[in-house]
Amino acid sequence: MPLDTWQEQLRRGSLDLAILLSVASGPRYGLAIIQHLETFTDLVVGEGTIYPILGRLTREGLLDAEWVEGEAPHPRKYYRLTKAGAKRLTDMKEGWRTFAGKIDRLMAASETDHR
Amino acid sequence: MNLSTAGESRVNGYLFVLERSLKTFLPGETARDAVREIESHLRERIAAADGAPNERDVVERILAELGPPLRVAQAYSAERTIDEAVATGRFVPIVRAVWQLAATTVTGFFAGLGLFVGYVTSMGFFAIAALKPIFPENVGFQFVGGIPVGLGAHFPRSPDVDLRGGYWIIPAALIFGMGIFIATQRGARRYLAWWRARRHS
Repeated sequence: MPLDTWQEQLRRGSLDLAILLSVASGPRYGLAIIQHLETFTDLVVGEGTIYPILGRLTREGLLDAEWVEGEAPHPRKYYRLTKAGAKRLTDMKEGWRTFAGKIDRLMAASETDHR
Repeated sequence: MNLSTAGESRVNGYLFVLERSLKTFLPGETARDAVREIESHLRERIAAADGAPNERDVVERILAELGPPLRVAQAYSAERTIDEAVATGRFVPIVRAVWQLAATTVTGFFAGLGLFVGYVTSMGFFAIAALKPIFPENVGFQFVGGIPVGLGAHFPRSPDVDLRGGYWIIPAALIFGMGIFIATQRGARRYLAWWRARRHS
């Protein structure tokens, strides 16, 4: 598998977690989520691809969406974590840490073996 | 930044193409909500670019960062249609999702072909069950020279063809039709679940 394909799979696999993390501290609207992701990661390749994922996470009951008018010249659609979303986020964080820890240990072992 | 007429036209053109694309596979209300959200994104980006010297460059850059409308629509389509089909297991969403994959992927084409055959065969059995009470002399097993060659409705009935089978054909056709329909439906759902799992892997 080419390196860029592997990186693309990693990126796609982490987007759900990254989006849930973006709204963990409080509600954010779409563009604010994108900007938050762009500040901390390079996961956003096309801005337009984030909105369908937000829609799916909402349909899955992990996010709640609500249009807010009046705080900007145009309405904004805010997303907030639901109870199910918070539970999923906790599980995903734990899964991620376990997974990353194992890979770290594997890399450390391979470097030790190499010496 | 307040857009000129040309800038507004460019943005509205983008949104128009996006909405038309979304409406091909999303319910109208859902498509409008998605377009409203994308418009909100664009307006916010444009407002933030206040003071930029070249409006046209700003609008083109913002639209490019969002992605071409057809690609954005495709992203919605991939997320939405297949999820709905797998989650609900309903006939129309499944057919819509399979049709979409058949039009865009090689495996989808062959899966779509197989599922099409399954659906058409089950519809054929349902048609036999529906036609038998109306045309009892024209619907049944077709025998030529004592050898069974087919099952179906024959209009007009040929003198060389011997049609056999009583009204028991109705429940039999319904059972076969329903069996094939359910098997096809399950197959379609499994295929879509497999495709969705592969997409997320």
